[in-house]
Amino acid sequence: MKGRFLAVVATTGMQILLGAVTTSAQWLDIRLAETPRTADGKPNLTAPVRKTADGKPDLSGIWRAADGKYLANIAADQGEAPFQPWAEALYKERVANLGKDRPSGRCLPHAVPDNMMVRSGPFKIIQTPGVIVILFEEMNHFRQIFTDGRGLPEIKEQTWLGYSTGKWEGDTLVVETIGFHDRSWLDNPGHPHSEAMRVTERFRRRDFGHLDVQITIDDPKTYTKPWSADAHFDIAADSELLESICENEKDYENTVDR
Amino acid sequence: MTARLVWAIAGFSLLIPIMPLHLEAHHSFAAVFDEKATVKLQGTVTKLEWMNPHIWFYLDVKDESGAVVKWQCEGANPNTLLRQGWTRDSLKVGASVEVEGWRARNGTNTCNARSVVVDGKRLFAASSSGQ
Repeated sequence: MKGRFLAVVATTGMQILLGAVTTSAQWLDIRLAETPRTADGKPNLTAPVRKTADGKPDLSGIWRAADGKYLANIAADQGEAPFQPWAEALYKERVANLGKDRPSGRCLPHAVPDNMMVRSGPFKIIQTPGVIVILFEEMNHFRQIFTDGRGLPEIKEQTWLGYSTGKWEGDTLVVETIGFHDRSWLDNPGHPHSEAMRVTERFRRRDFGHLDVQITIDDPKTYTKPWSADAHFDIAADSELLESICENEKDYENTVDR
Repeated sequence: MTARLVWAIAGFSLLIPIMPLHLEAHHSFAAVFDEKATVKLQGTVTKLEWMNPHIWFYLDVKDESGAVVKWQCEGANPNTLLRQGWTRDSLKVGASVEVEGWRARNGTNTCNARSVVVDGKRLFAASSSGQ
């Protein structure tokens, strides 16, 4: 409880800081015409969601996880993830090793879905009629979600972030992703997965300022049943993504075996 | 605006003591730094690397005998710092700084800076909560 209180204080403090300090960077501290505003000129976070030309809710914008809960534990809502025995052993080993082999420690990607949870590196959704692109600021990574009606393919080449297709169910974009290799971790402590993982993400933009994504992990080789996380994201209005090339990694050489 | 600045200062004072949450470093904080080994350094900046995934700055620190000891400290990533109002000019070579942070577990003169004071003005490093 104390930890949660401190996290809330930290989050609040960070938001206050981010809102209050001016900066000289040309991508920040800007005023975008597309931002709906309240009478006093501030971004109107509860303004209704705009529709695209084809009548779909427009998810476009720069988003940042509302808190660090799921990056710290993607199975936070489960109590404990429903591990298969080998997966539980691997997870415990990663925790015991203080997470020293976390892929991002060597500038390799976070997983789907935890690359959306990195709060210091927001992500940008760009929605077009046939494809939705997610640009992740951290390490300049990206995902493509094909919405042109194609089905999921036969996977011949496994990748870090898999192959995603999306379709609309009312105002919710339902994204299915397969085709992962097993090298990514689902969160910082190291929840594992196999190549059999299928991730379903249900994106729903509540209003201008808020995006909800329900994430379901279905990986019968690793977990005894599918399980979910309900993540929330806040808009970063009047801002752009920044470049983030991982060019000077020096921590990995300083990691210490337990 | 004044009120917001007051809250910003309150934010600083709230944030600094609770950085041990370390939830968002690109690397595992605990595999590199010792949360129990806090360090306080006073020195002169000799070099700044304003690069991803973390900034690094290098210090000449005088020990009790007056001898110069070399230290290296990491801060947050540049983008986090930009969003908080830092720029690469915030830590100039030759600046006199006070750094509080945590020491590397491997025993080298390496630190993770949670707060940096330059010429009496507190900057915010937030190294490990920053990403």
